[in-house]
Amino acid sequence: MVHDVLKTDEAVFAEDLTKSFKLQWRRGRLMALDGLNLQVKRGEVFGLLGPNGSGKSTTMKLLLGLIKPSRGRIEIFGHPAGTMEARRKVGFLPENPYFPSFLNGREALRYYGGLCNLRGSALQDRIQELLKLVDLESGALRPLKTYSKGMLQRIGLAQALLHDPDLLFLDEPTAGVDPVGSRQIRDIIMGLKERGKTVVFSSHLLEQVQEVSDRVAILNLGQKISEGTLADLLTVPDQVEIRLKEVSPEQEAKVREILRAQGFAAPEITRPQRSLEEFFISVVNRSQKL
Amino acid sequence: MSASLLRIWTIARNTLTEVLRQRVLNVIFLFGLILLGGSTFFTQFSIKEQDEIKFLLNLGYAAISLTGLLVALMGTAQLIPAEIERRTIYTVLSKAVRRFEFIAGKYFGLLALLTLMVLVMSGLFYLLLLVKEPSWIYEISHGASTLTERQMREIQAVQQQIHDPHLIQVLLLIWAKLALVAVIALFFSTLATSTIFIVATTMLVYLVGHLQGTARDFWMASKTFTGWRADALGLLSTLVPDFGAFNIVDEILGGNKVPWEYVSQTLLYTGIYSLVLLGISALIFEDREL
Repeated sequence: MVHDVLKTDEAVFAEDLTKSFKLQWRRGRLMALDGLNLQVKRGEVFGLLGPNGSGKSTTMKLLLGLIKPSRGRIEIFGHPAGTMEARRKVGFLPENPYFPSFLNGREALRYYGGLCNLRGSALQDRIQELLKLVDLESGALRPLKTYSKGMLQRIGLAQALLHDPDLLFLDEPTAGVDPVGSRQIRDIIMGLKERGKTVVFSSHLLEQVQEVSDRVAILNLGQKISEGTLADLLTVPDQVEIRLKEVSPEQEAKVREILRAQGFAAPEITRPQRSLEEFFISVVNRSQKL
Repeated sequence: MSASLLRIWTIARNTLTEVLRQRVLNVIFLFGLILLGGSTFFTQFSIKEQDEIKFLLNLGYAAISLTGLLVALMGTAQLIPAEIERRTIYTVLSKAVRRFEFIAGKYFGLLALLTLMVLVMSGLFYLLLLVKEPSWIYEISHGASTLTERQMREIQAVQQQIHDPHLIQVLLLIWAKLALVAVIALFFSTLATSTIFIVATTMLVYLVGHLQGTARDFWMASKTFTGWRADALGLLSTLVPDFGAFNIVDEILGGNKVPWEYVSQTLLYTGIYSLVLLGISALIFEDREL
């Protein structure tokens, strides 16, 4: 039964999703994913987390229809996964993407644009727009085999966005990318969210997932072990954090005193720190401006 | 053009670009050099001009056929496995591209290359014959201003051999044979990922296809060959294309006239067989896990 798209605001609906692979030489079957239920709302940025071999890439492939589930059903905007209707609405950036190395950046986008039935000036304009978005205008005529890892990820993101899909699957979009490139990709994801696009992505960089995701699911050994909004999952229920600006040592001592008087035996007062990533990017940006 | 045909065209064009940029042209260039070197070497024997041309024609078309066979076999055997191994297939099939469009695009791209190869190589070969034509005529006339009737007949025979329109039949039959080999290799590449397996099985079918006509005639002549064995042979000759049909090329090169009806029937047979096998390949690939 096709999920009624009018009654729901779900971009992704997966129920009892199970996938096992047959091992060679009659060594039985490998359970890659076991009874996964997953719903992603329209306009949401959803993070898929998990250690290596937890089933993240298998889940993505199933959602894209590249492989078929052993059990369960998947719908993308109400259409069964893998159908032409579903794929028209989806863009995909695979993990460690490889592209036809004999093409340059612009030619690769022209090829993928052709596959999305884009032609002529509409395609040229779209390519130009995306090259600008992923900051590859200057490298567009370089052969892809000379691209760095970060450039490949960005051209991969551009090909995934060519047909302006409503839903994006990004498998480890920042793997192997330096912090500056990684920040660029994060900004693009944030921009997509602002435009109402749905993004499902997997990453090992937890700090980054925390920065951009509305909700996350954690997989391990093919099973979902946790799911929820970041606020639900990360808030420490019985603690409160107070941040104060320009506090003198005397004021700090006074605050400590008040808190003790209120019965808080050992209040923790520390100086907040920037993340190393924030520091790194500010230093690099400053040196580039010099 | 429909959207589906446009996508097939896009994939075919990209496949042709890929193989053209992968030094396939060097093979053709090498062929040209061998042909030129070979022809100069063999003319040193000073045999009769007409025999020399006949020898050259056999050598030239055998070289076209052999080079084409290698490209059809090796090129097609790598078409699908390389896309899967490099994972470039994910970015293609996650878009609204049907799997049969992918298979058809890949096949027609390689077929375009084979067509181009046959045309360029035969063009080069014809050019070589044109360059050598005056020297053959000189050998007959010895530079005399008035020619005997015998000399005129010999010159006419030489010119007929070089400009024989039936040589187009040879090109068409070679091209059809290559198209058939390519579609068989494509069929096996939808079943397996090992290039060695694909090449080996295609070669096996090619050999069986060459021998099946002779075997059929021999066994059918013996009265004892009845029942299930006859049925099995009938099935085999339906499944495996009759490559022996292309041996008629030797007759044409030997100066014998072959009716166009035979050539067009062989081309029709090739077309139907290729389309059916392409359809079966697409069906198998439809269920393949990527």
